[in-house]
Amino acid sequence: MTLEEKAKSTRRELIKFKTGTGFGHLASSLSVVDILISLYYDEKTWFKHESDQLIWGKAHGGPAVYPILADLGYFPKSELEKYCKVGGILRLHPDKSIPGCNFVGGSLGNALGFAAGLAFSNKLSRFVVILGDAELYEGAIWESLILINHYQLNNLFIIVDRNGLGILGETEKLLKLEPLADKFRGFGFNVLVEDGHDFIKLRACLSKLPNEPTVLIANTIKSKGVEFMEGKPEYHTIIPRDPSEIKKMLEGLQ
Amino acid sequence: MRAHRDVFIEELFSQAKKDASIVLISVDMGAPALDKWRQELPDQFVAAGISEQNAVNFASGLAASGKKPYVYMMACWVARCFEQIRYSCAMPNNQITILGNGVGLGYAPAGPAHEPTEDLCYMRAIEGIEIFSPSSEMQVKEIAKNTFTSTALRYVRLERSLAARLSTRKHSPDSSGIEVIEVLKGDGRFKISILASGYILDRAIDLAQQINQETGYSIQVIDVWKIKPLDLRVFENFIKSESSLISIEEQARDGAFGSAILEAVSDLNLSLPTLRLSLNTAFAFENGSREELLDRYGLSISSMIDRSLEFIEKVR
Repeated sequence: MTLEEKAKSTRRELIKFKTGTGFGHLASSLSVVDILISLYYDEKTWFKHESDQLIWGKAHGGPAVYPILADLGYFPKSELEKYCKVGGILRLHPDKSIPGCNFVGGSLGNALGFAAGLAFSNKLSRFVVILGDAELYEGAIWESLILINHYQLNNLFIIVDRNGLGILGETEKLLKLEPLADKFRGFGFNVLVEDGHDFIKLRACLSKLPNEPTVLIANTIKSKGVEFMEGKPEYHTIIPRDPSEIKKMLEGLQ
Repeated sequence: MRAHRDVFIEELFSQAKKDASIVLISVDMGAPALDKWRQELPDQFVAAGISEQNAVNFASGLAASGKKPYVYMMACWVARCFEQIRYSCAMPNNQITILGNGVGLGYAPAGPAHEPTEDLCYMRAIEGIEIFSPSSEMQVKEIAKNTFTSTALRYVRLERSLAARLSTRKHSPDSSGIEVIEVLKGDGRFKISILASGYILDRAIDLAQQINQETGYSIQVIDVWKIKPLDLRVFENFIKSESSLISIEEQARDGAFGSAILEAVSDLNLSLPTLRLSLNTAFAFENGSREELLDRYGLSISSMIDRSLEFIEKVR
C-alpha cells in the first residue's frame, strides 16, 4: 500500500469510529494524519515506532493514531469500534494506558516539558512532540523551549500541526502567531516549514536526523480529506453523523 | 538553627553523591547548601529559570525515565503549577518531590503574593500526594530520608523563619507524622488536644500552657507534621479520649489544616467539638514581621485564648 493509500484508509477508519460515537475532535485529527503516516509508515523517515516515542501535545487530535496503532498490532482493530464506549480502551485523548501511547492527554502546553524531561534523561532515544498551533498560546510551551535549547536536546523533535485554526477561527485574525518560524528561530531552534500533507516534502524533513533542536512547522488543513469540512472552524467539535454525510465523507476517501 | 531548605538540601546532596538518579531542579532558587552541589554534581542540577510550569513538566519527564526529581521553588508558586502537578505528575503517576520554601507568612513583609496561605487547601486536593509540614530539623531530615527509600508524589512545606524551641528540638520523629509534643496535666474532667504543625506550633504550645493555667484542664499539643495522608490509626489513639479539639494553622480558614482534622474526626465516626483557629484573611496587605502579622490577623495568643475559652465554655 502506498503512503497515500495508507492515509486514505487511516482517515476512513478514523471517520468510522468518530462518527460512530460523535465524541471528540475529528477535524483536528484529520489535519495530522499525513504527518503520522510519514512517521509510522515511510521507511525513509527516521522515526521508529518500536523504539522512539510520540508524545501528544494536541492530544485532542491524537485519536488519528489509533487506526495506525491497530494496524501495527498494538491492540486489536475491534477496539476502534469501541472508541469512547464502556469497556473500550481507546479514549477521547490518548494516554499511557493505551498501548503505543505515552503521557496523559487533554491539557495543552504540558507535553513539551514532559518530553524535555524524557529527552534529557534518555539521550539515546528519540522523542517527537506534536503540538497544535493554537496550543502555542500556552506560556509553558515557551518556558520549555528555553530549556530545550539551553540543553541542546537534539533527540527531541517538535512538529507543529499548523492548521491555522483555533476553536473561534483563524489564529491570524484572532490573535497573531506569525511570524511563527522567526519566533522559534529566536528561541534558538532550527526551523523547517513544509506542507504537512506532502509525503515527499515530509520525508525531506524527517529523513535526516537533526543535530540541533528542531521544529517542523507543518502547514496543514483542518479536516483534511473531507472536502465540505476542510478549513471550517465550526467543525472543531462537530462530527457529522447523518448517514448521507458519513457516506459522502467515506466516498471521498476511496 | 539551620534553615529547613539547607537541612533538606544537605541531606539530599549526601544521597545524590551516591545516587545519580537524583536531580535537583531549581526554579531560580539558591541556598548556601546548593552552592557546593552545583559545583560537585553539575549533571544532577538543572537551573530551570523562573518557570514553575515547565520545571514540574520537565520533572515529570525525568520521573517517567526513572530519575528522582526534586523541584525547589518558593512555596507560593506551587499554585502557579498546580495544573502541572495534577496533570503531569498525579494523573500519570510521575512521582516527584516539590520543595516549597517559605510557607504561611514566612516571607513577610513581602506581601500576600509571596505568602501562601491556601496551599494546604489546594494541595490536599491532589490525589495520592503526600504533604509534610515540619517544624524541627530532625523532621526535615526524616522527610528527606523518607524520599530516598520510597517514591511518591510529595509536597514538602519548608519553613523560612524558624521557631527556636521547635527547630532544635532533639527527638526521633515518629514515622506516622503525628506526635504528642507537650502534655499538661489537669484535673481530667475535661481534656483538650491542640493540633498544629510547622511554625505556628510554637504558639500552640503557648496557648496550651495558658489555657491549662486558666482552666486547670488537661491539655496535650499534637504536632501533625504529615498532613496527607493523615495516619488515622495513630490520630485516633491520641484523640479518642479527648473532650474537644482545637486546631491552629497559618492558613486561611477553609479547606486546609483544620478541615483535614475535621475530616479525620468524621472518618473515625467520632463526635468531638472542634475549634478551628486560622488566619482571618488569605491576604495580609500590611507591613510587619511574621510575628506581627500573626498577631494582627487572628492568631495572637490573647485572641486565641479568648476564643478558646469561649469555645470551652460552650462545649464542656
